[in-house]
Amino acid sequence: MSGPVSVTHLDGILAELQRARVALSSGEIGIAPSVATLNFIVFIDDPARRDWVRERALLVAEKHPSRLILLDACDASGGANVRISARQTTGSTVVSERVELAVGGLDAEALTSLTQELSVHDIPTVLWWTATKLLESRRFCALIAQANHFLVDSSGADRDEAVLRELAQFLQRYDGISLHDLAWMRLAPWQDMIAQFFDEPALSDELRAITSLEIASGSAAEALYLAGWLASALSWRAESPYSFRTNIGRHVTFTRAHEGERRRVVRVTLATDVSRFVAELSADDHVVGLSVEGPKARAPWFVPLQNVENTTLIERAILAGATDEIFKTALQATRDLLT
Amino acid sequence: MSDHGLTTTLERPAPTKANPLRAGLATDRITDPCTIVFFGASGDLAKRMLLPAMYNLRVSDVLPTNFGIIGFSRSERSNDDYRADVKRAIDEFSRTGEARDPLWSDFAKRVSYISGSFDDVEAFKRLKTQLEENDEQLGTAGNRLYYLSTPPTVFATIVQQLQAVGLGPKDVGRGWSRVVVEKPFGTDLESARELQAVVSRVFDEGSVYRIDHYLGKEPVQDIMALRFANVIFEPIWNRRYIDSVQITAAETLGVEGRGGYYESAGALRDMIQNHVMNLLALVSMEPPVSASADSIRDEKFKVLSALRPIPPDAVDKVTARGQYGPGLIAGQPVVGYREEPGVDPNSNTETYAAVKFLIDNWRWAGVPFYVRSGKRLSRKNSEIAIRFLQLPHRLFGETGDQIDHNTLVMKIQPEEGVSIRFNAKVPGPKMHIRSVSMDFNYGSGFGVTTAPAYERLIADAMRGDATLFTRWDAVQRAWQAISPILDRWTSNPPIEEFPNYLAGSQGPLSADSMLVAEGRSWRKL
Repeated sequence: MSGPVSVTHLDGILAELQRARVALSSGEIGIAPSVATLNFIVFIDDPARRDWVRERALLVAEKHPSRLILLDACDASGGANVRISARQTTGSTVVSERVELAVGGLDAEALTSLTQELSVHDIPTVLWWTATKLLESRRFCALIAQANHFLVDSSGADRDEAVLRELAQFLQRYDGISLHDLAWMRLAPWQDMIAQFFDEPALSDELRAITSLEIASGSAAEALYLAGWLASALSWRAESPYSFRTNIGRHVTFTRAHEGERRRVVRVTLATDVSRFVAELSADDHVVGLSVEGPKARAPWFVPLQNVENTTLIERAILAGATDEIFKTALQATRDLLT
Repeated sequence: MSDHGLTTTLERPAPTKANPLRAGLATDRITDPCTIVFFGASGDLAKRMLLPAMYNLRVSDVLPTNFGIIGFSRSERSNDDYRADVKRAIDEFSRTGEARDPLWSDFAKRVSYISGSFDDVEAFKRLKTQLEENDEQLGTAGNRLYYLSTPPTVFATIVQQLQAVGLGPKDVGRGWSRVVVEKPFGTDLESARELQAVVSRVFDEGSVYRIDHYLGKEPVQDIMALRFANVIFEPIWNRRYIDSVQITAAETLGVEGRGGYYESAGALRDMIQNHVMNLLALVSMEPPVSASADSIRDEKFKVLSALRPIPPDAVDKVTARGQYGPGLIAGQPVVGYREEPGVDPNSNTETYAAVKFLIDNWRWAGVPFYVRSGKRLSRKNSEIAIRFLQLPHRLFGETGDQIDHNTLVMKIQPEEGVSIRFNAKVPGPKMHIRSVSMDFNYGSGFGVTTAPAYERLIADAMRGDATLFTRWDAVQRAWQAISPILDRWTSNPPIEEFPNYLAGSQGPLSADSMLVAEGRSWRKL
């Protein structure tokens, strides 16, 4: 990246911002762009994911009145690009300010100084961390200290399990910062579908009799989160990475299968001694078929799978505020499973 | 426990149902299976709003696992014909676009149709049979939501027929039965009481959902958030700081082919008695003890009970009525009300109503609430404007500078947001003061679009959440408040000959005079 100013020339960046504001307010739209409602700091250090992350960050930033500070650690050129854009929607204008910085050569202290100076004061700061390491990264620890909300995607990397362990530690260490994991948020439709099996009073008793859980997914985080969620909701205690003990002493086996695309759940099967509850993704990825086999069998039914785009998930996380309490307990149960 | 007495815990919230997996789920699914029956299924409201809303609830995966839809209307048609009508309505009016497979196929097989008039007991028997079939085949478990999207004149008949064929809540024996009633609930206090007597013989109050789609709009719900989720407004939300309140519900539309209905309604019944009174209650009520439906509705009832009755001989002084004549809307000529289809050429029905209300309680004593609503006005605009008192002592400003009242405006439609008007120094060597505005706009502030009000309200009724529906006691109080005006306007011709305002104008001059006499003026539309 190369820009008109350098990342070390803070006054120059701020002056560019001011110039962009003036240009926008005197342009065709003629508005005063001073309505940022959040700082959105995005950190990238993986060249393979750089464009993907950047594209989504820009989409979110353009939709929300925000100051996006995009820290590109893949680029050590030291350049800075500043841009302010206004998007007209029905009855309103959304103004977003964008500062893209090539920070590959900067250490944690320099990053802290830069982002502190560039953030708008008195509005929430969201940190979207896309690097693989968390708590052991000095740059992460420096940036998270400025954030109110922390956004991460634990799924799809080769070290999902390690990330989940780190997130559990994060919860303990950073009590005041809300945590949103896109991998967990993606599971909402699956949680609802699994819950659907047991909405009927005739089937709800079966929940207490579950003896096995099998989850097939394209990456580990989904399976671990779903297992952790079920464990925390049903008071199961992890005995090993492959088994739980219920609160009445029943043994539940847990099997994970690697199947399908990354970040996708393919199938969830719950079984008791006499019944099987299966939720399985159709070949076209749009519908999940649900079936109950056994003495209380039900005709199969189909549920639309709302495959929510990552940009939308990020928006939801930004609007959500505090950490979801169910997520906290599920993450703790997941950590217990991995310990 | 934290220092502030707030518990910090990692315990799961208690599940709302017997299913522990439902506790705190991020999805907003309705868990009770049910059948929804639309009376007036071929009407405009069903076509434009209700059926698309149902489909979008399905697309958003909010509908219960097992649901059914039954259309009930006079016109003859088969189930398949009706499904085709439903699909056309969705294709044309759904915010999510055309109905698509596989969702549409699944949706369509849950739709059926009953043809019959509302006084035909045999048709209601067929309805009962269809509901029982739905319970058997679709697993709807005896839960029924009856939606009356019909002219109000047949509300009572439908409810009586439901009871006659054994479809009342006490007859079914399992599940729940609820009824959603469109506005207006009655045409005056007496007819509202008569209707209530019929409805309450069949449905208890907890099962009656009187819908006012205004209450499903996000900015209306935000009135409560603005007042009770901020500390900065409540201390000044009273007679010590507020000069007056103006509530406006202005439309550019005319009667849109509903001349026949509007002739018997008028602006007072059509808008003031329900939409506007609900806004007045939300902006003036005391803080509820909780966010539960009944806590909020208790406070709305209390403040409506504190409205000062308008003596018959004072009606002309505190009200204004008008009717639009021909004029221009957005540069296009439009006919006057009396030339609209279905309207009496000598009609004295008001298309504009303005009323001054006073609330006799400690918070609002002496603060006038000016409300107005009209058709064919210059601009579509619904808002609540809180005008604060004038400065007690003028310290700044050169001679000639006008120091305006501070004003807080809650914008409901078409803009959605909040603005605060305050005074600031004009840059320069002199101490000139000028009024400036600080705006919050929902679209710009959150960057999200919200679902139409009907989606929210239908889902709430299916869930059994009555927070955004009007309770009978408040409906009754609202009718009581406007009864003296209705009586006066019904028995006396208008003081100014109708039509008395041009389509595309700000409304009748008499409305302006009403405020000018008190040293105030209406906000420009």
